Amino acid sequence: MENKLPITRLSKFFSEDDYNLHIQMGQEYLHGDLNMKLVLYSVDRTTTDTDDVYAETIKSNIKYKPPVEFNAIVKVDEAKNQAYKSGQLRYLEPGNLTFSVYTKHLEDLKIDIQFGDYIGYPDSEKRVRFYNVVNDGKINADNKHHHFGYKPSYRTLICAPVQENEFKGV
Amino acid sequence: MSLPKKNNINVYRQVGSEPSSKELLERRQELLEKITQHDTYLPDDILHDDLDKGMLEFVKDNFKVISDGEQIPIIPKILTVQRWGEISNNWTFADEDRNIKVPFIAIIRKPDVQPGTNPIVQRTIPERRQFHYSTVKTWDGNQMGANVYKIPQPVPVDISYEVIIVCQKFRDLNRFNKIVLQKFSSRQSYTLVKGHYIPLILDRINDSSPIESLESRRFYLQNYDFTMLGFLIDSEEFEVKPAINRAIMLYEFLDTKNYTKKYENKSIEIITATFTGDGSQTTFNVGESIGELFFVAINGQLQQKDIDYYWMYGTPRITFVTPPIPGATITIVYYAGKSNIFQDSYGRLLFFAVQYYEYDGSSLTFTTDHEIVDVIYVETNGLVEEEINFTFSGNQFTYLIEPIIGSRIGIGYLR
Repeated sequence: MENKLPITRLSKFFSEDDYNLHIQMGQEYLHGDLNMKLVLYSVDRTTTDTDDVYAETIKSNIKYKPPVEFNAIVKVDEAKNQAYKSGQLRYLEPGNLTFSVYTKHLEDLKIDIQFGDYIGYPDSEKRVRFYNVVNDGKINADNKHHHFGYKPSYRTLICAPVQENEFKGV
Repeated sequence: MSLPKKNNINVYRQVGSEPSSKELLERRQELLEKITQHDTYLPDDILHDDLDKGMLEFVKDNFKVISDGEQIPIIPKILTVQRWGEISNNWTFADEDRNIKVPFIAIIRKPDVQPGTNPIVQRTIPERRQFHYSTVKTWDGNQMGANVYKIPQPVPVDISYEVIIVCQKFRDLNRFNKIVLQKFSSRQSYTLVKGHYIPLILDRINDSSPIESLESRRFYLQNYDFTMLGFLIDSEEFEVKPAINRAIMLYEFLDTKNYTKKYENKSIEIITATFTGDGSQTTFNVGESIGELFFVAINGQLQQKDIDYYWMYGTPRITFVTPPIPGATITIVYYAGKSNIFQDSYGRLLFFAVQYYEYDGSSLTFTTDHEIVDVIYVETNGLVEEEINFTFSGNQFTYLIEPIIGSRIGIGYLR
């Protein structure tokens, strides 16, 4: 059983009930009004085989948990014109996907998003782009993610685009 | 531990295991190409693009890396900045955004080609002197001769290439590295360019994987730098010279494209052969014996026998003292019989005659000594006139266009 330490700071001004109310209102805006949906393809790290030396695996050996749809507020960076080699081997790929999600929402869905998981976000009706989580935002004890100094309420995750031969949904 | 592989020696086939027809066809094709690849006695050109192609073939043939059960694609072109856009938009291994899919192997040539450092072909002879390459026998139908083929020393060049592997697995890097190091365990390897073995040297291996940025797509990128110790052979510098004095060598050319015949009189077959000069050809062959040579003209200008050209009676060749200029029209009008006796369709003997007049402005009609049967040519001051410029009847010959006074008029006719 997890140890639970009640948070009593700011108790004269702000309580758990207030916090829950704020989160509820925020979720109503985010899920009801904005309704930005993403899909989590979480890698099943217990059933996926990796090699003993480099912990690499071949594509067909990666196992995924069932995909889960969730809501978050999304920001996609501009596409970058880059080169593998200075001035040569050009490629243009989408910018990083950054999204913020309520921790309560993840708890309600009983999911966790970890470094290396894949996220699907539709570009258009015809195309879903996939991203790889490169920063899972699990450490969110900073002021930005704190709700009025009471406790952290959301996580901000950064994902890098992947090519379709790495992942294109399950 | 894997079992040692058996050598797959199948040079001597077992009885009953016939090779497939495809195998034989390929071998026949290979032999045919080997036999016919040189269309002259001289070596083939080896220029920059041939050397680049040699590098491309070397990488495609030797650097095959299998990842996840599939070969890592090798971009089948030497890349430049401009080329990359085209390749990535057309290549099979591109994603929906037309970005090339990782993993892949690419070959980049550095644009600058440096003077060669291969000690075998480094410059030793100054001023591009020509050297004897071979002596080739010639036979022109009459005389045996020989041509000496001379070529200068090849120019050594060093060409730098980068072979790049972009992949996402460390094991792929290991596989590629193993192949390259095995191939270059003796520092150099060779690629075959038009039958010449061209050495390649592995200079260094660099890792350019973007490890500094955590929040971006991750991949490995390694460069393998190679130097090709090549050389250039340019056929423009080849020289072919006769081994004996050209003055006594006669060349014959029978180019059907330049060769036309016109039968002006069916009974005695007066033939007009036309050739086009190329600036070097001196001898023109009509392909049959010339019984009577009426005239030879270059661009309509009559040529003087034994002064401008030579012709031996009964031979088919006209040899000019100096080659007609390129594009010049050489006209040879002759009778193709074995003698210079003409007979018309009634069995009447005809004779060729030439008469000259000086135009004094009084009359355009001239009287010949004999009745004219057919006019072979009319010339004014050495220029052959077109047939529409004159008429004839009996022993009267009339100019339709007035020449300048004092012009020398010649008429060659059958009487």
